[in-house]
Amino acid sequence: MTPVTLLSRGAVVLLCCWVLLPIYLLIVNTFSSQADVSGFPKNLIPPMDTENVEFFMGYFGVGKALLSSLKVAAITMILSIGAGAPAGYALSRFDFRGKNLFRVFVLMTRAFPLPLLALPLAVMYIRIGLDDSVLGLAIIHTVLALPFAVLITYSLFSGIPIELEEAAWTLGCNRFQAFVKVIFPLVLPGIAASAVFAFVISWNEVFAAAVLTIENRTLPAFLLQSLGTSPLHLKFAGGAVMVVPALVFIFLVRKYLFSMWGIANR
Amino acid sequence: MIFKKVALASVLASGLSTVGIQHAAAQDVLFWSTQANPVEEAQAMRESVLSGFEGEVDFQPSETGPWLTRLQAEMEAGSGKIGVIGSLHGNLISLGDGMADLSDVSADGVNGTFLELGKLGTSEQKYMPWMQATYVMAANKKALEHLPEGADINALTYDHLVDWAKNMADASGSPKFGFPAGPKGLKHRFFQGYLYPSFTNSMVSKFRSAEAEGAWNKFKELWEYTHPASTGYSFMQEQLLTEEVWVAFDHTSRLADAFNERPDDFIAFPAPAGPTGRGFMPVVVGIAVPNTAPDMEAAKNLVSYLVKPETQIETLKATNFFPVVDVTLPDDMPAAVRINGAAIAAMSGSADANPGLLPVGLGDLGGKFNAVYVDAFERIVLGGQDVREVLDDQADTLRSIMEEAGAPCWAPDPASSGPCPVE
Repeated sequence: MTPVTLLSRGAVVLLCCWVLLPIYLLIVNTFSSQADVSGFPKNLIPPMDTENVEFFMGYFGVGKALLSSLKVAAITMILSIGAGAPAGYALSRFDFRGKNLFRVFVLMTRAFPLPLLALPLAVMYIRIGLDDSVLGLAIIHTVLALPFAVLITYSLFSGIPIELEEAAWTLGCNRFQAFVKVIFPLVLPGIAASAVFAFVISWNEVFAAAVLTIENRTLPAFLLQSLGTSPLHLKFAGGAVMVVPALVFIFLVRKYLFSMWGIANR
Repeated sequence: MIFKKVALASVLASGLSTVGIQHAAAQDVLFWSTQANPVEEAQAMRESVLSGFEGEVDFQPSETGPWLTRLQAEMEAGSGKIGVIGSLHGNLISLGDGMADLSDVSADGVNGTFLELGKLGTSEQKYMPWMQATYVMAANKKALEHLPEGADINALTYDHLVDWAKNMADASGSPKFGFPAGPKGLKHRFFQGYLYPSFTNSMVSKFRSAEAEGAWNKFKELWEYTHPASTGYSFMQEQLLTEEVWVAFDHTSRLADAFNERPDDFIAFPAPAGPTGRGFMPVVVGIAVPNTAPDMEAAKNLVSYLVKPETQIETLKATNFFPVVDVTLPDDMPAAVRINGAAIAAMSGSADANPGLLPVGLGDLGGKFNAVYVDAFERIVLGGQDVREVLDDQADTLRSIMEEAGAPCWAPDPASSGPCPVE
């Protein structure tokens, strides 16, 4: 084995540990009893004590919050791709005045911290009746996810030669057909990736969710705030409750991510 | 792909329908609280405290930031969903005019001092006292053999504590005293309600006095034998249970787990005394009804339910916060209640007891007030800066806060006519 392959394999192992070790420790502690969590030495094999997990299964409102989270994340995905992909396409295909300025301004929505915006937003939401609704929260999350959706799809479309589209036009497609039949299949993996990104942004967002929803709270707003002040063994179990659905989702969409990175999907 | 689109579309549709039906949902009283936030306490509140109320209660605990923002939004919008709010005295102060008068809610047996505090200096009962707590010391029984000679655990002085911490560090090879100086730790309350009253008989006016200088120097001595990871500690029960530290200072509810888990291994005892007595700080939690409450009557009924003696005992079991109503405690209380209760009784009943109230009349400047003490701690103890210089510096900030708030002195400072002076 040459030093280079040895080095690269070492790097791969290191990266895997970096990702997997925290998840492994989370799982071990989730399935440990309270005494084991605060005790030493630690178990390396989970003792499969399900008491902590059962606490969360029976915790009032977890199921409802999980469902709210999924709904908000799904709507955020749809809205941010629905609005972001056309914007990205326009940025890459058309020249218009103020294009560069526009690209900077797209990012400006992320320049203001949410705690600053939350109060006026909440007042407005209460007045127009969007308050405490899944859709209302999804709109805010879309605002947060949109800059990334626009910029990711912009670079995706820019990577596809305009000649492909022009060829389709000469063969009888109109602009829309050319997009659907030629461009869309090529960018689909990338779009999926930016949808995953939108999903993750929505899944992790706490402050807006905690202020704009009360009865329809998302899982992070519902749990994360309480977990910060909870005993250690419940922090681990609550952490697992938060992480596992996101892991499952990433696992389900992994083939789109892999094909974007050019890894064969078998 | 088509299947996926359909699935997503139906999710979207159900999201929209949620918007439609939300107004038709049954009217529960929404109880919006910064207390009982840890998941186990929240669960106990729902299952054993609020289940006895005749109406439906939706108990939603939250962190202070979102809690306050949400309330301000509802008050500004003029309509809201929150029926009852529960929080610390200091947080409720900043809501002032947004809270309805609770004078018509029966307050039989509720502690008079706390009731007065709940009026926030007006003629209306702005909030109803809900529960109380304080801060005590806790120790692993292993630590007791290292107590300095002649020291009585129930009548320690700051000198004893420093010696004790030194003995433990010498005997075990590493510091065994822990202090909650982490980002979520309640260190500012120690300086305001314990260190200052014990050394200066004051919380504000003698902030930069020679006695205060002595207090900080004493704390610096203690810090030498304090576990260096203390700057990350927030809930001392965790470090006590892992035995990273043997002796700690913290809020009674933040020590409760240690007592409940291993009642035979841990003891609680009063905070130490200084030259001007045994300073300690009672904490008051209140409940109030915002003017925007959707069902004012149900909300007031809930407030009245929460101060009933039976409910207060259930609340004590759920949260480890003590009743504000005169009650006789039954025998089957959790270990933490017994152990904490005995320490509190010893502390408040000691001959040299010197209670200091929570800051009164600071409004939304409470955070800045706390920052004065935290900054002093960070500069003097962590940064090693000159005590005199730092105190002079911070005293200016403190003075401008007191003048901006126009707040008169509170115990243990003697009453003042204008804003509490910083000498």
